[in-house]
Amino acid sequence: MKTERGGPLHAFLLETGGFSVFVARFFRNAFHRRFEWREFVRQSVLNGNGSLPLVAVTAFIMGLVLTVQSRPTLARFGAESMLPAMVAVSVVREIVPVITALICAGKIGSGMGAELGSMKVTEQIDAMEVSGTNPFRYLAVTRIWSTTLMVPLLVILASGIAIWASWIGVNMKDPLSWQLFYRQVFDALSLGDVLPAFIKSFFFGFVVGAVGCYKGFTTAKGTEGVGRSAHNAVVMASLLIFIIDLLAVQITDILGLN
Amino acid sequence: MEESHAARVSARPSQEKVLSLRGLELAFGSNKVLRGFDLDLYRGENVMVLGKSGSGKSVLIKCIVRLLMPTGGSIEVLGHDLLGLDQEELDHLRVRIGFLFQSSALYDSMTVEQNLRFPLRRHWMATTPGEAEALVTEMLAAVGLAHTRSLYPSELSGGMKRRIALARTLILKPEIVLYDEPTTGLDPITGKEIVELILELQKTYGTSSIIISHDLHVARLAANRIALLHEGRNYAEGTYEEFRASQDPLIQNFFIFM
Repeated sequence: MKTERGGPLHAFLLETGGFSVFVARFFRNAFHRRFEWREFVRQSVLNGNGSLPLVAVTAFIMGLVLTVQSRPTLARFGAESMLPAMVAVSVVREIVPVITALICAGKIGSGMGAELGSMKVTEQIDAMEVSGTNPFRYLAVTRIWSTTLMVPLLVILASGIAIWASWIGVNMKDPLSWQLFYRQVFDALSLGDVLPAFIKSFFFGFVVGAVGCYKGFTTAKGTEGVGRSAHNAVVMASLLIFIIDLLAVQITDILGLN
Repeated sequence: MEESHAARVSARPSQEKVLSLRGLELAFGSNKVLRGFDLDLYRGENVMVLGKSGSGKSVLIKCIVRLLMPTGGSIEVLGHDLLGLDQEELDHLRVRIGFLFQSSALYDSMTVEQNLRFPLRRHWMATTPGEAEALVTEMLAAVGLAHTRSLYPSELSGGMKRRIALARTLILKPEIVLYDEPTTGLDPITGKEIVELILELQKTYGTSSIIISHDLHVARLAANRIALLHEGRNYAEGTYEEFRASQDPLIQNFFIFM
């Protein structure tokens, strides 16, 4: 197979290789004794808090809309009573983790790409390095850890909000007590629904942080490059989120958790 | 009347070598930027590396702090073989080398005070908050900008940014300072003030310096010695007066506007 220099395949291989080296570098530094705790906490608060309103509103709308739109179809089969269970399984297993991760890719990933890219082109990362601070540990490791841990937390919160919104959606047509609604929800959900979703959200979080930082650290060509890094961070992270989701479905299927 | 160059900068102040470059080579692909550059720097001395734009001056000093890895030659800094150090050893040595970036490279999300405190986080100099505070106050006073403590870099003029960057560079009390085009982009009056500040701080803190510039006014004011970087090599070395008197057309070209 020919990989012409400057061609799309060459660019893809370069990008894949560069990102793999970046991820390997993260794991070499991720458990270093000189962990930047203060920056990690700052980033976690910034990323978690900053994304919460958007994630919460989106989760609420998703839960409500899914409930309202699914009702007629279920009613046609006389299965309206299955509505809480169906919505709960859908949002917990698939919709909330993926949508939350995509929102984080758009908000956090692009922000990291732009912030670190701007620091790169204005030599701030070099300035950090020559002052004896390891910029990779200070900027990248803390950010990647923070998204790896914050995205699953956001997914848990968003799942709760979506289910609550679903209860409101159910009550828009027929009154249903929240005790009964939640009993139906928790009867429908098994560990096989919750655990894979929770585990894959760690990978989603890792991808959001790693891609954002990778794009930021490899920014070139001035301010134009900063914009491109922010944009590419969203595109690449979104694509990787879908690929991970696809792999997660296959793995849970093989393990008999579907 | 203006002070003479000889009165302002004495001959080589010491015989102790703090930096030695031998046969330094660096290439970006097929573009050979450095082709066997040699230079020595002695304690307390200011050496200016003169060269046309794009001749590789900035590349040269980035090699001295290993922001760029030379492809050949050797660099000995303060008795250490720079190219043979591991990351931890390099970080320790970098504390003893200050670097003033052409763009100032102040951290734009931090205030002036936070910019100055940042290099202290990792190093023995600021063992207590009181010591860190004293150092920040001392450096801000030294550059005459004590009132800018709570300002952000975006609120400072170009000259002020350069002074704050100088304060940040010197806060770790480095033994060698590398200045990358310290007066570029500044008006002649501010440029002269920066050079005078560099000389004053050098006298106070006893640093040795390499100043990268294409401006012979800087050489006249600050350099004990000039090295001309041409086609990747140390083409000529001498005092400002020796360069002024040279009949070499290449050297004379630099005096066109003087």
